[in-house]
Amino acid sequence: MSQVRELVRRRAYELLLVVLIAAALVWSANVTSYLSVPQLFDSTRSFVVPGLLALGLLVVVLQGEIDISLASTIGVGTVVLARLSAAGLALPLAFIVVLAVCALLGAINGVLVTVAGLPSLAVTLGTMGAYRGLAYLIGGDTGYSAFDPTYSSLGSQYAGIAPASLVLFLIVAVIVAFLLQRTVFGRQTYAVGSNPIASRVGGVPVNGVKIAAFTLAGLTAALAALVWIGQYGSARADNADGSILFVVTAVVLGGADIAGGRGTVLGTVLSLFLLGTLTNGMNLINVGGPTQTLVLGILLVASIGIPRAARLLLQRRARPA
Amino acid sequence: MVAREGPEAPATAVRHHGRVGTPLLELVGVTKHYGAVRALTDVSFAIGPGEIHALVGENGAGKSTLVGVITGLVEPTAGTVLLDGEPQTYRNPRAARAAGVVAVYQDPRLFPHLDIAENVFAGIYPRHAPGVINRAEMHKHAAALLARLGVDLDTRAPLSSLSVAEAQFVEIARALATDTRLLILDEPTAALTAEDTERLFRLVRGLREAGTSIIWISHRMEEIRALADTITVLRDGKHVRTAPAVALTEAQMVQLMVGRDVTLTRTAPPAAGGQDVLTVSGLSGKGAFEDISFCVRAGEIVTMAGLLGSGRTEIAETIFGLRKASAGTVSVSGVPVEPRSPRRMQRHGVAFLPENRDREGLITAFSVARNITLPSSRALSRLAVMKPRLEQSMAIDQIERLEIKTAGGNALVSSLSGGNRQKVAIARWLATHPKVLILDEPTHGIDVGTKVHIHELIRQLAHDEGLAVLVISSDLLEVLALSDRVLVLCEGRIAAEFAGDEATQESIMTAAMPQATAVAQ
Amino acid sequence: MSAVGAGAGGWIGSVLRLRFLGVVGALLLICAVFSVTADRFLSLGNFRTVLFTAAILAVAVVGVSFVMLTGNLDLSVGAAMGMTAYVSADFAAHHPGIGIMLVLIGPALGALLGLVNGFLVATLSVPSIVATLGTMSIYRGYTYLYAHGQQVTSTQLPSWMLNFADASYLGIPSFVIVAVVVVAIAAAVLRYTTWGRQLYAVGSNSEAARFYGLPTHRLMLTAYVASGAVAGFAGFLYAARVGTVTVVLASGWELQVLAAIVIGGISIWGGSGSVIGAALGAVLLATISNGLVLLGMPDYWQLVIQGVAIVLAVGVDALISRQTARVTTRRRALAAAGVPKSPIQVRSS
Repeated sequence: MSQVRELVRRRAYELLLVVLIAAALVWSANVTSYLSVPQLFDSTRSFVVPGLLALGLLVVVLQGEIDISLASTIGVGTVVLARLSAAGLALPLAFIVVLAVCALLGAINGVLVTVAGLPSLAVTLGTMGAYRGLAYLIGGDTGYSAFDPTYSSLGSQYAGIAPASLVLFLIVAVIVAFLLQRTVFGRQTYAVGSNPIASRVGGVPVNGVKIAAFTLAGLTAALAALVWIGQYGSARADNADGSILFVVTAVVLGGADIAGGRGTVLGTVLSLFLLGTLTNGMNLINVGGPTQTLVLGILLVASIGIPRAARLLLQRRARPA
Repeated sequence: MVAREGPEAPATAVRHHGRVGTPLLELVGVTKHYGAVRALTDVSFAIGPGEIHALVGENGAGKSTLVGVITGLVEPTAGTVLLDGEPQTYRNPRAARAAGVVAVYQDPRLFPHLDIAENVFAGIYPRHAPGVINRAEMHKHAAALLARLGVDLDTRAPLSSLSVAEAQFVEIARALATDTRLLILDEPTAALTAEDTERLFRLVRGLREAGTSIIWISHRMEEIRALADTITVLRDGKHVRTAPAVALTEAQMVQLMVGRDVTLTRTAPPAAGGQDVLTVSGLSGKGAFEDISFCVRAGEIVTMAGLLGSGRTEIAETIFGLRKASAGTVSVSGVPVEPRSPRRMQRHGVAFLPENRDREGLITAFSVARNITLPSSRALSRLAVMKPRLEQSMAIDQIERLEIKTAGGNALVSSLSGGNRQKVAIARWLATHPKVLILDEPTHGIDVGTKVHIHELIRQLAHDEGLAVLVISSDLLEVLALSDRVLVLCEGRIAAEFAGDEATQESIMTAAMPQATAVAQ
Repeated sequence: MSAVGAGAGGWIGSVLRLRFLGVVGALLLICAVFSVTADRFLSLGNFRTVLFTAAILAVAVVGVSFVMLTGNLDLSVGAAMGMTAYVSADFAAHHPGIGIMLVLIGPALGALLGLVNGFLVATLSVPSIVATLGTMSIYRGYTYLYAHGQQVTSTQLPSWMLNFADASYLGIPSFVIVAVVVVAIAAAVLRYTTWGRQLYAVGSNSEAARFYGLPTHRLMLTAYVASGAVAGFAGFLYAARVGTVTVVLASGWELQVLAAIVIGGISIWGGSGSVIGAALGAVLLATISNGLVLLGMPDYWQLVIQGVAIVLAVGVDALISRQTARVTTRRRALAAAGVPKSPIQVRSS
């Protein structure tokens, strides 16, 4: 019993998300008759791309930084894949090249933030534009859709009843969770995000850890680029443009502290599922995208604002006593 | 409390200007506790109108807290502050200023991006109309105030372009910008040249003639000698004595400051003859310290004593790779190591506990176990994957070894008391098996019981386990209790060195005070 | 007054002034490049086009600058412009009788939106990036709901509104005049009012600000309200300019505005920079885009150049602050060296 209570206390936020997901599912099932397991699985596809980015961004946010250039990195990834497919390169090789390119773009962010000591918001605001421009330079302004079928397999195939991309997302989530919970890098990530000075004094190579996080985020963007091609069958330089704000929302709604040090993969995954179920339900009853945006914003503000408001009220009440 | 105050306390309260019998400021039974830490206990004394009142005491005697209470920054746990006989409760320093009470701190609290005039007048701008600043007036006033202080600064220059000394004058100008009845100066000459100090003296004497009272906090005996009408000595948060300056000799003052009845026992010094482990030679750090050479042998405890700002912390941080050295070398066990980063020094067996353990020494949001294992992550992992069982056993070992009182390895460090936090901070380094342990104020803000425990631990580490230990401490009794050797720092240089059994509180104090000997001679 | 000498601090002052001049210099440089490479660039008409494009951005930049100076962000500015533009236009379409008072609707609604941001950031201490990210979605989403898939066409707008957008006085487009006036008022407010100076103080050192009893919370709150009000005005201008007001108006402007401000030299940490510099940042962005169009370059070059400019700008800022720190330490060293060292020779062992 006490273990249950302990679990509830420590994982209160995650439990709240689970309850909300359940509520969203029940609601969806009630308002529409289209809801079914295959339909649900299918609906997850649209969340894999932002989901992968969210996992990469989570690591960066845990260290107290931010990377808003990730959606542009996807753009670069897809057009590089397009070029390589056009050149007839086999997928494994092409994929390695894309991983390397995207990792490099992430590492550039990391170096600018650590070695040059610049604020990550400003740096990645700059590289967001620069990488998007780079995507256009590589891919031009026209789309490419004559992909070799192997290129689009990951994003379009099914593993049993689940889309392969969903399985990929879950595998990446498990890997990132493992990295954060079980490895030296994970320890150092939470340490740097909680207190960079104490981490440095404790022998943590702060700059190296941060560069690694930005590079990792670049890698998840490369994976997302591959999924994108499978899902949409085409690559264009403006792919995923503007989607970063959704990704940031997902990470913050998942309970990650934007100032660093607090947050879990579980929270992020749950928040993605919550957003996914809600969106799916709203799509099924034809609630427009704009209303969905509104709901998204309210969820974000409420998830952060309500606990703080409650604390403030409690303090106010406690003071006269 | 009345008895302690003695008959001499109110004697100077009636100087030239005051209304007879009413002191300008009176403290009655002022007490401030931060949890278990007793910063001030039942402090009562009075300051007369138009007097220069020196407030002296060791670091940690409670002077800053007292200033906080007087200026409305700190809310006292008990006791009253009376101004003109009226009890005061200022909500913040702004309210205190409105009543004419202003403090100038050692570390200027100013706005680096704003220009000098704005720093002088932030929040109290001269105005054309409500909300509209009269900039011309502001610059004119600021220039006039600075001229009165005898400093020549362009009031349009941004504050970040000033030296600390210049910034100090800006803060004093700020204090004088409104009608000031009580001016509190906390170590005002710490960053000043002799010339500037003289200028400040003239200003302070002028203010006294005009009827303003001054609380002058300083470690420098000759300043107190030259300026003060009355002296109040604080020790361990308690009021020791208030007396006319003429009634106290320098020696008496030092004795009142350090004389304590707490006994920290000292153990027999170890058999000498350990190997040199930490060797520092000719180490300099820009603007902080110069040409520092010493060594610490295996099994030896060396302490660095000295006033705040004497460069002790900077030396330790430089050895540990947190600051850049401008010259000099560091070697560990005879191997020269360039102190480039803490990580590098850690690999060479150097461990460092910063003074501010909550900000720099520990990750308070982490559990006890994770704090302990953080510096050892590499040793506790294979192929970068942590081994939870090893980690757990290391944490348990250290918790047991140091008798850390915690609900368990998974309890958050923030739930621990100060003493136990310090033990966690020590534990995390012991787990790395260091050769050199540097501790900056290891018992600062820790209750007496735990203090003794930590002292025992430090002795055991050095004498039984052969670590070379370097301790920085402002607590003279701690210095005497721990040291096999004492280095006294003064203004960035080693001013004296004593064998542990030869050092006395007075000899250390004397060596640590800039120019004190010159006055004494 | 005569006591004021040359002063010790002119050097850094001039560096900070140089930062401002850097924006001007970059602007001149880019103008020079384009005037050589693009033959139509150096015409009065084109000059007018650039300023016209820059005008609305410059106004929006002014509002957000208030918030940035306190050390916070406002990502909801584009959404706030969109909502105020749509609501103003819609109101004009349905209540033609309102006349010139229509101008007030945008700023009033904007101030309300700013108040929400300010409440979240100042009162509840939600990190500003999270708070305004959320309200961005909320404001934009609400605008869609409000519009019900409709749009307001130029025929529904009062003619004075459209005429005003097209008008020029003495050959200067009306919007440019409006932008200059707004920037001038903001610059004066930031320089000559206690509110303005205290915004800088809070951004420069919020701890010292609290210590001196400045109303830090109220200052942040009012900065957001001001930002919202100005965004509302910018929304009105935008509506007047495009005529046909849709709900996507000013989408993505939050990042444009942030880019202009950072390039214009307002520190992302708050406390330094000028609104005139930020407005010039807006002009710089408009000039780049205009020149690239004239050169027939693909418009993604704009993204590249803008991105590099942002990184360069913050890089220069970091360099300046590091230089400042270095000079300060050097001076401290000199001050310490000036203290006569007493010859203590009490070495005993």
